[in-house]
Amino acid sequence: MSLESTTQPLVRIDGLQKYFWENDSILDRLFGNDPVPVRAVDGVSLDIHQGETLGLVGESGCGKSTMGETLLRLQEPTDGRVEFDGQNVYELSGDELTAFRHDAQVVFQDPFSSLDPRMTIGETVRQPLDVHDIGSETERDERVADLLERVGLSADQLDRYPHEFSGGQRQRIGIARALALEPEFMVLDEPTSALDVSVQAQVLNLLDDLQDEFDLTYLLISHDLSVVRHVCDRVAVMYLGEIVEVRPVDELFTEPKHPYTKALLESVPRASTDERKRDRETLTGDVPSPRDPPSGCRFRTRCPMVIPPEDMDIEQETYRELMHLRERVENRDLSLASVGDEGQFETDNGGVPDADVPAFVAALKARLLETELPPRHDAIVEEALAELADENWEAAAERLRTAYESVCERDNPSLGDGAHSVACHLHGVASERPSEPDSWT
Amino acid sequence: MISERVKSNLKQTFAESLLPKLGLVLLVSIVFMALFAPVLATHDPTRTGHYDEQGAPYPPLGHEYTAEIVQDGEIVEVPVEPTSEHILGTNNVGQDVYSRFLYGARISLLVGFLGTGIALLIGVPIGLIAGYYGGRVDDGLMRIADTMLAFPALVLALALLGVFGQSSIHVPDPLVIAGLADGMPESVPVPGTVIIVVALVTWVWFARVARGEALAIRNEEYVKAAKSFGTKDRTILRKHVLPNSLTPIIVLATIQVAAIILLEASLAYLGFSGTTLSWGYEIERGQGILRSRSWVSMVPGIGIVLTVISVNLLGDWLRDALDPNIEGEGR
Ligand code: SF4
Repeated sequence: MSLESTTQPLVRIDGLQKYFWENDSILDRLFGNDPVPVRAVDGVSLDIHQGETLGLVGESGCGKSTMGETLLRLQEPTDGRVEFDGQNVYELSGDELTAFRHDAQVVFQDPFSSLDPRMTIGETVRQPLDVHDIGSETERDERVADLLERVGLSADQLDRYPHEFSGGQRQRIGIARALALEPEFMVLDEPTSALDVSVQAQVLNLLDDLQDEFDLTYLLISHDLSVVRHVCDRVAVMYLGEIVEVRPVDELFTEPKHPYTKALLESVPRASTDERKRDRETLTGDVPSPRDPPSGCRFRTRCPMVIPPEDMDIEQETYRELMHLRERVENRDLSLASVGDEGQFETDNGGVPDADVPAFVAALKARLLETELPPRHDAIVEEALAELADENWEAAAERLRTAYESVCERDNPSLGDGAHSVACHLHGVASERPSEPDSWT
Repeated sequence: MISERVKSNLKQTFAESLLPKLGLVLLVSIVFMALFAPVLATHDPTRTGHYDEQGAPYPPLGHEYTAEIVQDGEIVEVPVEPTSEHILGTNNVGQDVYSRFLYGARISLLVGFLGTGIALLIGVPIGLIAGYYGGRVDDGLMRIADTMLAFPALVLALALLGVFGQSSIHVPDPLVIAGLADGMPESVPVPGTVIIVVALVTWVWFARVARGEALAIRNEEYVKAAKSFGTKDRTILRKHVLPNSLTPIIVLATIQVAAIILLEASLAYLGFSGTTLSWGYEIERGQGILRSRSWVSMVPGIGIVLTVISVNLLGDWLRDALDPNIEGEGR
């Protein structure tokens, strides 16, 4: 299994985009509602090499399943291309498309939804052979029996219905169906996450054996890092529709680079006790909506290492606190009327009287910030909060933005090429960032 | 399409409960009466003039009534005795009520089942296609369906009958031609336009249910899997989407058979049936004399009620038995 073969990759994904549109019905058009794109997959480029298992990990809702379905052309892409064996999948038609449907298969997550409840498992596994008109009737039946035995079921169960099987057995049936046409490439979409832990290992081992036997290439989509570590050669980490890091599996697990990858690894429960004692910096905050992803680096709203502006001379913790403050000001997510004691500040007609402003600012600051700020930052924050005394939200936000805008929100770091790519300004080839701050471990 | 498991479920639910048995017995007897109406009937249902010697219609057996008849220019009240010739009596024009009841069953069942069948054939494919493809196709089709559903079925049916007119096709009665039932009408009037009209006001129900099912099924992973190995949409619709949406469609069909029988009765009651051999028409005829000769309306009324109940009982049975989540031990 060569990781960086010099031959062309089996699958080359280039700038793949898949948006779903909301508010897009006739009525919405009539009322002039603009369609809102949900950016499920937003500019993904990846190579998958012959014979390897590429893992695709990320939290649920990050777009990884959509990506799997789009690259198999089960959904039409919004933009970008996917080359399979050198041919653009989205331009195929006729015989070429049939050939692609023959060579690329998928195994789904849910063993209960992936088999038609009204078909016997024999019919289910036979379907691909019928569609591609392979062999004679008896040859097909023999092949189905072989396949079922190959995945560990007995051929005399052919006439049974899916509900008579356990989850693990159904997943095996799904694998037999995917295997029927002897494909080259399989997308495994969370193939074990609906199964018991004991059954998971069996299914993973089966997939592993089949890979060797049939020389298969896998794209394994999973949120389960232990599964990925167990079977993958390389891993791509996805966040909000983008790939943030692609590395060989050992490197990724021993020295993750992207702050998101680190956070993901940290959130995996550990076996050894002394490691468990360690302070864990797990992922906090919600995943932002893919309808309105953050500017610049999409992880910046949750990143524990956001890069402060140059010569800011500020602790990461303080900086994060200020960023949260800024966010609230920008979203007007503050109730000014309740500042200070009941009725202390008259805010109805044109803001707080000038004389009261310092007291107002002090009260607001006390409520919003937990730590004492260094004098330099204290001054900036007070300036900004003073604007709020006149309910001048724009100006307050602007003041904070000029002072604290991070490179992370201005530029979206690019992934770069090669097998060791990380999309983070801390690691970019182009940006001359100092090594990562020691304050965070 | 009907698997062993479904069969065993059907048997099991049938054995467990009394209601489906009752429904089956009722419906089978009604169908039997309808099929063999010419043989079972005692009189030609269209022949008028069966009165007693005073000129009054007969009451059913075991029932007496006083009729008001005109005698020597004066209205007098006379008692009327039943006769075994007309076991359910005769109506105001002297037709045999029992024979008309049998022939009425034919019309109700014909309209009910044929109308539902045609509605199924129109509604199910349209609904499945709309739900499966979604998007503009769906928007368009469902807008039409919603508009139609906004009108009461009876109003819509009357409007359509106004457009199409009423006509019935006279189909020769094989039993009479075979010589098994002498003296019965040689042909049966099949109310063609009524059947088409009830189908046209009913198909939207099937379309909506089929669409809802297709909408859910198209996102099932087995459909995605079928697409991934290149199954054509037409095959997916036929092999996955249709079989898996059948249960609610069948259940709806039983409800609609009953609803259409009622709709036909309403239309006939209002005089839009295309044939006088309809239960609804007969109810209307008895309406003015409900006090004195209630059996004229009552007999066909009971016919409608029993038919509707029997169909609904069987519908409940099917609904329970066809639910694929019920785990039966079928082999
Ligand atoms: S670019 Fe900035 S915000 Fe994004 S991961 Fe790197 S340090 Fe964090």
